[in-house]
Amino acid sequence: MMLEPTEEQALLRDMVSRFLADHVPTDVAGRGSLPLADWRALGDLGVLALAVPEAAGGLGGGPGEIAIVAEAFGRAAAMGPLAECAVLCACLIADGGDQASASKWIGAITSGQAIVAYGGPGEGLGDLTVQRAGEGWILNGERRLVRHGAGAGAFIVALDDAPHLLLIEAATPGVAILPYALADGEQAALVRFDAVEVACEARLQVTPTRRRRVIAMTQLAITAEMIGLMQTLYEATVDHVRQRRQFGVAIGSFQVVQHRVARLFILLEQSRSLLLRAISADDDAFATAVTEAFAYVADAALRLAQDATQLHGGMGVTEDLLVGRGHRRLLVLSHLFGGAIAARAKLAA
Amino acid sequence: MSLALPPEALRFRDEVRAFLDEHLSADLRRGAALTSGVFAEPDIARPWQAILETRGWLVYHWPVAAGGPGWSRVQRWIFEKECAEAGAPALPGMGLKLVGPVLYSFGDDAQKADYLPRLRSGEDFWAQGFSEPGSGSDLASLRTRAVRDGDDYLVTGQKIWTTQAHHANRLFALVRTNPEAKPQAGISFLLIDMASPGVTVRPILSASGDHELNEVFLDAVRVPVANRIGEEGQGWTIAKFLLENERGGSSFGPGLVADLRRLLDATGPLKGELATRAIRLSLDARALETTELRTAIELDAGAPPTPRSLITKLVASEIRQGIDELAVDAFGPAGLQLPAERPFYGPGMPAPIGPQAAQPAAARYLNSRAWTIFGGTSEIQLTLIAKAAVGL
Repeated sequence: MMLEPTEEQALLRDMVSRFLADHVPTDVAGRGSLPLADWRALGDLGVLALAVPEAAGGLGGGPGEIAIVAEAFGRAAAMGPLAECAVLCACLIADGGDQASASKWIGAITSGQAIVAYGGPGEGLGDLTVQRAGEGWILNGERRLVRHGAGAGAFIVALDDAPHLLLIEAATPGVAILPYALADGEQAALVRFDAVEVACEARLQVTPTRRRRVIAMTQLAITAEMIGLMQTLYEATVDHVRQRRQFGVAIGSFQVVQHRVARLFILLEQSRSLLLRAISADDDAFATAVTEAFAYVADAALRLAQDATQLHGGMGVTEDLLVGRGHRRLLVLSHLFGGAIAARAKLAA
Repeated sequence: MSLALPPEALRFRDEVRAFLDEHLSADLRRGAALTSGVFAEPDIARPWQAILETRGWLVYHWPVAAGGPGWSRVQRWIFEKECAEAGAPALPGMGLKLVGPVLYSFGDDAQKADYLPRLRSGEDFWAQGFSEPGSGSDLASLRTRAVRDGDDYLVTGQKIWTTQAHHANRLFALVRTNPEAKPQAGISFLLIDMASPGVTVRPILSASGDHELNEVFLDAVRVPVANRIGEEGQGWTIAKFLLENERGGSSFGPGLVADLRRLLDATGPLKGELATRAIRLSLDARALETTELRTAIELDAGAPPTPRSLITKLVASEIRQGIDELAVDAFGPAGLQLPAERPFYGPGMPAPIGPQAAQPAAARYLNSRAWTIFGGTSEIQLTLIAKAAVGL
């Protein structure tokens, strides 16, 4: 039982925080992904290899390490393909890819040279069908929300009704990438697959247990990122209500404002508790604990962002202020993987 | 960074679990499950208190010097969680949680020797005389007067919302000893024998049909000066210490997690909006018990008390009310029955409409509205959080 990070975890947190403070000043924070050069620099620091098992050349970090890095990203409102690429896709390839895919992609992901994007199944995310064709498959359909899909070198698609995970290079004939901007300023893509021939080596052999765990690690990273950003928005809001004067006094002296901010403090503390609980869970309980944390935090984050905007007054709705940009980011993060609604439905099932 | 319980804590948990398995009888569990008020009634509470006292675990939250078992905060949290999971009665807190710590922290040796053993044995049953008709949230405005008369005070005034005063033989009360001083500075803390001439208890029936609350009238009640805790004028300091224990001295989350689970056991799987509400409440309760565990771990590590603990009473009362409202909705028409008889586990109850667990649902719903009012209203709690935790 220890609430504080271990010494190694603290070093990791400080290193990532320092890097992001230097490279993501407040005026650019929350405006889009880190430039490629910065992403590669993070790769050089080992940050992108954190989630990858040691056997596959990674650092073998656990939930605690992943949460620490993701929270630092949120704190700085820094963006990039951390969760889906450096955690999810990297781990799926490390676990289930053949030698060739592993050597082609894992080093490229962990060094920040390449992005592999994820097209998972879900409500509204598009239909995909796969037909057996000789040794391989023919893939048809689309994935509508592939974060960082525009610049990706490859995709991992998960099928709706089959346990298949397929690794498909972006340059494969029949793959069409339609980039679009997400609410948080990051690039996503609608990716179409038109009679795409997939060789049998493209299938990632990942056990269902391991796949659940890796998806949970990804959701954990997103949850931790939300909490980091909640903290930043909370602090900005507390500063603002202390400084902003109306009717001759700081608005933070009004009880109606105090009570609203007190509610934000509660949301943040309760969110942190569920994140810590997920990090501490046994292997058996981990995926459910992450779903619980995500279900709570996705709601809490958006409520906090809404109140942060409200308490900032007119400035809260502008793009100039980090609060507005942070709110956009939380809008996207809180809706990934089906958002709180899908998470609650899963828990109710 | 991990909340996982270490092996010695798991062994302790198993020890508590085994004890509860053996000693928490089906009757006591049933009584606790069918209690509609905040605390168990004496017929349930007394036997359970005796069982815990025999095992040495009654005053588990007291320091060793005061007779406690010397448990860490995490052990207390585990004990409370296991008791909640097992469905143990909620012992009235006025003695064990409120005046007990005041006695061992502020009482003199004679007072400790006089009162603590009787508190533990159950011979003394305590009521809390803080609120007055004109002094609720603004407690320091209280007007009950204590006038010095030789070695006694003559106490005159009225207390209200006095939980279980009709069972009590002792009252601890805030009284005004100096009307000239600033409101807070003129208050003292007295122990009053309920059998004293001039003490009158009048019941207040709750909308839930429960009789938990009372008015206590004090008419020139003679109280020895030796029954004052601390110095004259120190009452407010003692009251603040006591209120901190009332709001954060023990954990609420485990009880809420367990109560929600028991409700869902009784209703069967919920659908649609009800299912969503149940999940939300379960997440709130899980988060709260974890927040309480975090605080326990920090205190065990020697950290100063965290302002985070201010959130627990507020959050707990809202979850409590949410669970009780969910119960009424989930039981459907059966959630509306409100028999006049008490207790619900007693022999004189009419047959329940629907499942047994539905019978106290309306009473619970109505009774638990008090949670966001007693021990500092939610509005007071939010102001405290804003000031102490947020720093506004």
